[in-house]
Amino acid sequence: MRYNIVLRYVGIVLLLNALFLFISSIISGINGDQAFLPLLYSSIVVGLFGAFPLIFVSASGSIKNKEGLCIVVASWLASCFAGTLPYILWGGEFNFTNAWFESVSGYTTTGSSILTNIEILPMGLLFWRAATHWIGGIGIIIFVLAVVPSMRISGMVLSHVELSPIARDNFQHNTRKTLRILLRVYVGLTLLETISLFMCGMNIFDAITHSFATIATGGFSTKNLSIAHYNSVPIEIVIIIFMLLSGIHFGLIFSTIFEGSKKIYKSIVVRYYILAIVTGIVLTTFNLYKDQYKNLFNALRYAAFQITSIGTSTGFANADSSIWPALAQILVIFFALQCACAGSTSGGIKADRFVMLWKAVIKQLKLLRHPNAVISVRIDDKIIKSDILAMGVLYLCVYLGLVFIATIFLVALGVDMLSSFSGVVATTGNVGPGLGTVGSMSNFSHIPSLGKWILTGTMLLGRLEIYGLVLFMLPQFWKTN
Amino acid sequence: MRLRLKIFSGFLILTLMLIIAGAWTIYELKNMGSSVQAILDDNYKSIIAAKVMIEALEREDSGILLLMLGQWSEGREIITAADNSFKKGLEIAANNITIPGEQSYIETIRSKYQIYKEIWERPIVDTHKQGDLNWYLEIAHESFLDVQSSVNELMSYNDQFMFDTASNLQNKAKRSLMPGVVAIISALVFTFLFNYFVNYYFVSPIVRITKSIQRFSKDRVPFDVRIETNDEIYDLAESINNLCLVTESRANKQ
Repeated sequence: MRYNIVLRYVGIVLLLNALFLFISSIISGINGDQAFLPLLYSSIVVGLFGAFPLIFVSASGSIKNKEGLCIVVASWLASCFAGTLPYILWGGEFNFTNAWFESVSGYTTTGSSILTNIEILPMGLLFWRAATHWIGGIGIIIFVLAVVPSMRISGMVLSHVELSPIARDNFQHNTRKTLRILLRVYVGLTLLETISLFMCGMNIFDAITHSFATIATGGFSTKNLSIAHYNSVPIEIVIIIFMLLSGIHFGLIFSTIFEGSKKIYKSIVVRYYILAIVTGIVLTTFNLYKDQYKNLFNALRYAAFQITSIGTSTGFANADSSIWPALAQILVIFFALQCACAGSTSGGIKADRFVMLWKAVIKQLKLLRHPNAVISVRIDDKIIKSDILAMGVLYLCVYLGLVFIATIFLVALGVDMLSSFSGVVATTGNVGPGLGTVGSMSNFSHIPSLGKWILTGTMLLGRLEIYGLVLFMLPQFWKTN
Repeated sequence: MRLRLKIFSGFLILTLMLIIAGAWTIYELKNMGSSVQAILDDNYKSIIAAKVMIEALEREDSGILLLMLGQWSEGREIITAADNSFKKGLEIAANNITIPGEQSYIETIRSKYQIYKEIWERPIVDTHKQGDLNWYLEIAHESFLDVQSSVNELMSYNDQFMFDTASNLQNKAKRSLMPGVVAIISALVFTFLFNYFVNYYFVSPIVRITKSIQRFSKDRVPFDVRIETNDEIYDLAESINNLCLVTESRANKQ
């Protein structure tokens, strides 16, 4: 493996981070807050680390798959480390563990926080928190590939490592165009939401930071009460719409808007995704009505927002779902496991795999009746190969296994079972809030330090779809050529 | 990029990191020093002034009791001295308003003290007030307690602010420490990186060139060293390659 090439690409990723740190420091400087020096110093240190490999290592024409995997994982880890710097330097509630938790939670678009008082943070640091969501939203490498032209030569290998196989299916273009589509949809949705939120009465800073968090399906808010702070139905409606859009495959959104395609309406995955969320909202509304809220409109309002927020892995909140009745909580857990469609910024197992699993079950039932029949699994007129199907089922098992093991560790550390399980589900799916003591109106500050490290591990595993990070950490990966 | 510039850039980056961290640490330490000074100058001075006022008030109260017992000269002497002392304390506090809202506390003390002063300025000895315990408890002592509680409020307000500033100092100490810690860790990582690049791009090619020259001079194996970079080492390899070719062709001619 050519480590110098890996360092060069990681350097470019760090430079992008340094740019956002610098923008945050400018905001801090204009506002005259205390985060100016921490952000400026962080941007300089990260920038120097990013620029240094570029001085020595010249651009390489092609990279191998193994190098690609190493670049992607190392870039995520390096970015997460870079992200801790302004937090540590600012101080407050941030020790290294807390800063690492906040940084990983930001980049992986999880949105879980250790902060007991978010509003005490200076404006520059709040912007940086939101920016980490936005950088990590479509994937750090994808972002860099789309922005830096010189990296497009290696784009195919890198984007294949970063994008999951099921996400690539809906892109019928070459890598370059795919990246351009992703970036256009990403930036376009962010701009549209910023304008919409601003028109609904949010100030421009909150509108930008909340748009970053929505489109990246992150969930970091600038307010302690999250979206509940605004107590505004129009704001909630705008966020619901953009959360739903951010959960749909970006390729489908692009082809619908720019190519006049109607695939988005025909896609079985999108249909299932919307139907599941609508069903979830209806069930939760009736479960909450009278038990929690005397008014049907309020029950619908809170159910719609919370279920969409969890079901798209965003994690914003306008109510405390940890005090909801059992059925509503089970639905929250289900959506935190499933999340939205592949090819979006969402985390979790993904609706695509649930559809695949359902089709595989149907196929198996048919085979029981007709053992010699040749039955293929189709999704949107595409035949799903048996190895992809098997990988999907295997991923589901590994994912649930990971959730189970991490829950055991947290319970062993003294965290109660509901908080442990829901917390692990929420972090692995990059959702954000769980239930119990880590609910939508609480935070992760009370989790023991080791528990926080376990949770950041699950965030990264969930974001990199498990296999990449596991492979990177295996000794064999470094031994074999 | 040329060799000299590459090495220079490595050291420049390292130096930059350390200088910036050092400058920031100095800035934060200076800030810390200012905060300590602010505690001493602003809050502590007001607290001392409040204590002086409370002491003076208590002496005035004793003076009133002496007047009630008919000891006019002793009572007046104590009250006059205490009044001067109170005024001095109030003056110090009034000239040391450093916290928002402190002014209103001073104004309250001033107005309440004026009421209290009016009570003991009027004659007590040889009037119905002399020996009248009810008058003392209901009028004089009540007013004394009123002023005292206002002075206490001013002291608590300054106490709280001093506590907050001291708490901030803890955070400032951490802030002044962190750039140094980050710079040390960054410098370590950077040194490791720099060492890797120096080995990969400078030492390793030189070793390869040396070995290839040795093979050429010993067994006439053609000089073949590929240099990826466009710097002096590349020029050196090219020159040696040309030299070997010339030497080889001359040897063939002979």
